[in-house]
Amino acid sequence: MITLATLAQAPSALEQSFQDVFTGGATAALMPFMALAVGALLMLLVDIIKGAEMLRPVVVVASLATAIVTAWCQVSEPAMQVLGGTYGVSPASAIFTLIFCIGALFAWIYGLGYYEGRLRQFSGEYDMLLLSAPAGMILMVGAGDLLVFFIGLEILSLPLYALSAFRRNRTDSVEAGLKYFLLGAFAAAFFLFGTALVYTATGTLNIGELASMFQGEVARSPIALVGGALLMAGIFFKVSVFPFHLWVPDVYQGSPTPITTLMATGTKAAAFGFLVPATFLLPPAATGIIAAMALLTMAAGNLGALVQTNVKRMLAYSGIAHAGTVMLLMAGILASGGSDEVRSESVNATLFYMAAYLFTSTGAFGLLAMLEREGEQMITLQGLRGLGRRRPAVAAAMTVFMLSLGGIPATGGFFGKFMVFMVLVEQKMIAVAVLGALLSVIALGYYLRIIVTMWMQPLAEGEADRQAPSTLPASVVTGVCAAGVLFMGLMPGWFIGLLG
Amino acid sequence: MNVPTEHLLILAAVLFSLGALGFLLRRNLIVILASVELMLNAANLTFLAGARAHSSVGPLNLDGPIFALFVILVAACEAALGLALVIAFYRQKQSVDIEAAAELRG
Repeated sequence: MITLATLAQAPSALEQSFQDVFTGGATAALMPFMALAVGALLMLLVDIIKGAEMLRPVVVVASLATAIVTAWCQVSEPAMQVLGGTYGVSPASAIFTLIFCIGALFAWIYGLGYYEGRLRQFSGEYDMLLLSAPAGMILMVGAGDLLVFFIGLEILSLPLYALSAFRRNRTDSVEAGLKYFLLGAFAAAFFLFGTALVYTATGTLNIGELASMFQGEVARSPIALVGGALLMAGIFFKVSVFPFHLWVPDVYQGSPTPITTLMATGTKAAAFGFLVPATFLLPPAATGIIAAMALLTMAAGNLGALVQTNVKRMLAYSGIAHAGTVMLLMAGILASGGSDEVRSESVNATLFYMAAYLFTSTGAFGLLAMLEREGEQMITLQGLRGLGRRRPAVAAAMTVFMLSLGGIPATGGFFGKFMVFMVLVEQKMIAVAVLGALLSVIALGYYLRIIVTMWMQPLAEGEADRQAPSTLPASVVTGVCAAGVLFMGLMPGWFIGLLG
Repeated sequence: MNVPTEHLLILAAVLFSLGALGFLLRRNLIVILASVELMLNAANLTFLAGARAHSSVGPLNLDGPIFALFVILVAACEAALGLALVIAFYRQKQSVDIEAAAELRG
């Protein structure tokens, strides 16, 4: 029983643990997160000081650069737990942090000059929200505790809801924000109820302790099983797994395109950064269900994309299919009975896949943002005709991204897929791997159609030939993305070396 | 009076299901927001029930109540943002019916 006497003892215990918890290592481990959090708060301050508008870009770049540099330093350091085991850094979480911060930086650069008219006045709020989202992602992958993970999830989600509705004079943007918010809140409620049930069954929120407890008797209690499943369902919403994927095309299409780049890459990476190591929450008997859900996700994404004429919507469906591919790793882990070796191999595959996907997807959506800014509100397949002649550099970059999304050799996307299917084959899940590969081939249908439209179909008679120049920063980012895709495809060893 | 933990869990499950049903079936955005709040509070009740059950057999377990406090905080943030989005939506459509959000599809 809880009595007043036990509660009275709590403060002294708390005081003791505060001294144990805040060590020097904690500050170093939290540096990337703190850089972004301080940057976001500073942005609010800068925003209210008259004449300090010039400082806004400085704050954004400085905090993201600090986060990137400190995360880079963590890549070579050994893994450690800080703050009483509620937060941890490892080479894997450091690489995830790099993915988030680079993704946010790219999204911010694509956003420069994207917004028109009255919205420009709100760039302080915009920048603040854009710095908060990656901070939440960092907490998610570093969390050693479900409470910290939940806080990270919300720090990521709330800014993105607001950002997707940022063009609030446009009906599609507000509708996207509203849909994203409603389904996100619904998913968060599932996650919370699942967490609460897992806590009721086990009495702990620590992910490490849960992992060992789920090896034993606890895992067979119905409360823990239902809790684990509900918790996972909440995150499946976030990564758009079948049957929780229907919101994705609407939200990606309606949101401002620079924000879509971050949603497509960062959110997905952060959620898988948690899901893949936390597969232990599911019972081994769920292997078949998880594999089926992953394959159905791939099918839903690829078949949905085939019939789209709006390119942004097509890429949104393609994002669903990619989520399905990464999810196959969870089936692989379950099939191995949760062996540590397969888990770390899967985390490495996730990292490679997501790093390649960062460059590919950011570049592809970013190119759409550049084209949209030149006067076109909606990029249709028709609108891409003749792009190869008008803007060869843009069309070449788009070709690289499409080939990488399709998993063609010599691009980063190929090795990402290769590593996923390797894990499956090692677990003797040949049928699943073959089906997955076949579904990836369907995807080539629409990726190649974009390439063919750009290079082979001429501009129709009398159609306006737009020659508006792109801004330099956005072009540079697109070039970096294309170079990154090719680098990861031609020299995958360098990145795999980073993983150790 | 000592309510068994199972009863609290059943109550929480009923509240959660009512919230989920309300979310899926109701068309008014304000009611949908209220349904989400109901689901979050079902989770809070579960956290407190779990903490009580564990504290009665072992050392004081405060993880659950602390989580519940954070959930209350996050629920407030979500409500603020959600209502702001509903207002932005209402300004455009003159309606808070979810059916009015039908522009993006295909």
